[in-house]
This record gives sequence, structure tokens and C-alpha cells, in this order.
Amino acid sequence: MAKILIVEDDTDLNAAYKLILERDNHTVKSAFNGQEALEVLKSFEPDLILLDLLMPIMGGLEFLQNYELHKKHPNVKVLIFTNMENSPEVSEAYKLGAHRAIIKSWTAPQNLTRVINDALAEKRGVTA
Amino acid sequence: MSDSSTKDRGQKPLIEGRVPAAELRARSEALFMSIGDGAIATDEFGKITRVNAAGLKILGFKEHELIGEWFPSKIVAVDEFDQPLNLIDRPITQTFLTGKSVSKRMYYRTKSGDVKPVFVTTAPIILKKRPIGAIEVFRDITVENEIDRMKSEFISLASHQLRTPLSAIKTYSHMLIEGFMGELEPAQKKALQTVVIATNRMNELISTLLNITRIESGSISVAPKPTNIQKVVEEIIKELAHTASAKSITLTLESTTNQLSLRTDALIVKEILTNLVSNAIKYTPEGGKVNIRLVGKGQRLTVSITDTGIGIPEHAQDQIFTKFFRAANVVRRETSGTGLGLYLVKGLADQIGAKVWFKSVENQGSTFYVSLPRDSFKAEHVVRPPDE
Repeated sequence: MAKILIVEDDTDLNAAYKLILERDNHTVKSAFNGQEALEVLKSFEPDLILLDLLMPIMGGLEFLQNYELHKKHPNVKVLIFTNMENSPEVSEAYKLGAHRAIIKSWTAPQNLTRVINDALAEKRGVTA
Repeated sequence: MSDSSTKDRGQKPLIEGRVPAAELRARSEALFMSIGDGAIATDEFGKITRVNAAGLKILGFKEHELIGEWFPSKIVAVDEFDQPLNLIDRPITQTFLTGKSVSKRMYYRTKSGDVKPVFVTTAPIILKKRPIGAIEVFRDITVENEIDRMKSEFISLASHQLRTPLSAIKTYSHMLIEGFMGELEPAQKKALQTVVIATNRMNELISTLLNITRIESGSISVAPKPTNIQKVVEEIIKELAHTASAKSITLTLESTTNQLSLRTDALIVKEILTNLVSNAIKYTPEGGKVNIRLVGKGQRLTVSITDTGIGIPEHAQDQIFTKFFRAANVVRRETSGTGLGLYLVKGLADQIGAKVWFKSVENQGSTFYVSLPRDSFKAEHVVRPPDE
């Protein structure tokens, strides 16, 4: 299955997403802010990144700028997981190459796996 | 008071007949010049005849640079991206064309090239029943805009903070139900389903509050696009089918028109109709019916939602679009409502030029009507007062 990086500062949610995705047989690594994510990415090239926006030390937008998604990692899908809807931050994330934005508090585990599988399928050129 | 002081200019009698004409002109000039907001007057051809001190200060011009100039060419109005507005969209043009007072939020480019947000109101100058020009009053709303921005930022942050703990509650409840931590007894599952329903309700409430604050602060954005209204309604039916069938309510769609496409903001229409259809289901007893009907007529398309529900008591009917209002028969039956749904519906409808009304008989049912303009882009020209 796929390699996934979770970047989420809420430890409970981070652990929950890890459990859910591992049950689907994905290889999952966790980071708790943008800086940690950049560190993990030195030795881990994921297929997909689940990214929160508001995080301490380094937020999601700053992470995307540093990661240079467009330029250096065109094949990695980034799903924004946030509780801010219609915010300028979300538009900015799209500009920086994010694939989709999802409101966390609306999302049940089934939806999470569905959204992730859809994104991974699109990546492999399979029409959803 | 001494004799000498009554001879001062300011102490002249106020009865006009006793003041010389030149003095009267000077007084009216002083009055115009002293208006605290910017003021510009033009003749019937749109040439500037007068500008007051506040106007010159906001625009950065000297008086002689403006007098005698054609208003729209000398005073450049732009949109938020610094692109010049079409002549037809400027309030001064609208006033000349319609003879009516027009207000608008826009931007002026000052002499030095800065772009300043302004709130403009123009009106015709009428003398002996004939228009002899127009007057525009405008004020710099930089500070108001900044406060609005801070308000939206605060709301966005507050909603984020409210949703964060909910995300964890919802995710873990679902995980427990789905057996991530071992199989649960049916009673335990049922208890957790109640938790999930409550978090969903909380989520809806946060979204409603967020939408209301957006409307009230004028920060809601309307993006009209070609929209097939039947598709929007079909989506709503799909999403609410489960809620309806749980109460054995028949949810039907009936279309009497084939002209179903219009230019509107699909998300706003969906929010309005979802609120009305879910209200219809909520306030209809088990085994009842909810029918959605689409009727096209001229430049408008009307969606009506008829239920066989508890209805709205006559004495409460003129209050139901009021914020926090809940009718007595509703409060008796259902304690979870907020009294914000219909207030939100009305507020959203105003944004896209839609009209909402209803007919209802207590204990028999209600029909809510939403009449949508074929092109809600035109609704943008509706004059809106500034948020004070």
C-alpha cells in the first residue's frame, strides 16, 4: 500500500489517524509540526502527506514553502486537514500545491480512508 | 450680550429674508466646505463645480486641479485589484441615469497613486423639480475595513479552536464504534452513536454561527456561476434521505419547468434549501410528507418546500425570520433548535437577490418559497448600507 506522512500537532488526532491508516495497511510516519516533517522527509519519500495548517514552531504553509512541493516533489499528494474553512490560509495552501482541503471536525474515519484512497488512485492515473 | 457681539458674522439673525444674498452664498459655501466627509458637486454634465476640504484631503488634490474637470475622468474609481471600474458601475453615473440616490463601497485612486477604500453615496441635485447636477459624499473606510478584517480573522480562529476538540471526540467515537479498540456491545455502540450525533449538531452550530457572522460583517463572498437547480435539490435529497426515512417521511421532488439553469452561487442556494428541507423534516411528524417543487416563471425560478408538519402558529408568523426566535409549539416539542436557521436563510437569500416567504396553518403544514433570480449577479447592484 502507500507511504503516508501525518503532520498534525494534536497528539490524539495524530495517533488516531495513524491507527486508522495502518489498519488499511499503509506505511505511516508521524510528525507534530512542519519542522519535524522536513526532518522525517530526509529519509522518507511519502506518496501522500496529511497536513494540518495551524501548528506551533512551523505551520503547514511554511512547511509547504520549504518543502517546495511543486518543484521538488511533483508526485507527492498533499491533503490539507484543517478546521478553518474558506480561510485565506486554505487558498494559499492550494497555491502552494495542495491537492484538497478537508475540514477535520466533519470527517469520520471512513471518509478519511475514502478521501486518501481517492487521492492515491488519482495519482496513479486511475479515474475516480 | 453687548451690541458689538450681535454685529459679529456668527450672530446675524437666522431668518433668511434679512440676510443679504452674498452673505447667504458665503454661508452655504461654508456649510458645504465644513462637511466632515468628502463632498463633490457637479453640474448637469458631470463637471466638478465644488469640492470640500475633507474631499481634497482624502483624494490629495488641490481645489483648482478638480474644478471644471469631468468627474469620472479626474477622480479614478478602482476595484480591490486596482483595476478601473466601468463608467456604468460608478454611483455618479447611476445617479445621472436613474435620478436616484446610490451607495457603494469601492476604492479611489488618490493623486499620489494610493488606493483608498471609500464608501460613496451620490444623489441628484434638484432645483425647481429639475436635476441640475449631482452631489457625492464619500468617506475613507480604511479603519472600518481593518476592523472587519480583524473580526473575520477572530471568527476564523475561534471556530478553529472550537472544532479542534470536536475533531478528536468525533474521530475516537467513530473508531470505537468501528471496533478499532475491540468489539463493543450493542448498547455501548448506541451510546457512542449518540455522542457522534451530538458532535455533528455542534459542528452544524459552529458553521451556522460562522455563516451568520460572515453575513453580518459583510465578509461573505458571492460567486455566481451557471447552476442547475434540480441537481442542487437532488443532492440535498440524497443527503437528507436518511434523516427522512428514519421518520418514515416521504421526500419527493416535482419539477414543472425545464428551464432549470440559472446564474447563482450554488453553495449559498444549497445552504438555504438544506435549511428549509431539514426544517420541514424536523417539524413533520412520523409518516408525513415533504414535497419540493420547482416552478419557473419569467426571470425567476421558485423552489417551494411543502410539508405536512406542525405548522407555524398565526401569532408567530411575522417573527420567524428573527434571530433566536422559536415558536411556542416548536419549543414544546423539540429542545435542540437554536432559532438561527431561518434568520440565516433570510440573510443568505438577501446576498443572492432571492426572496423567501411562506404560508402555514398550524397542525396542517407549511410551504416555504424561495424565488431565485435567473441572474443573481444583478443582485450585486443592490444598495447596501455600510456596517456601523
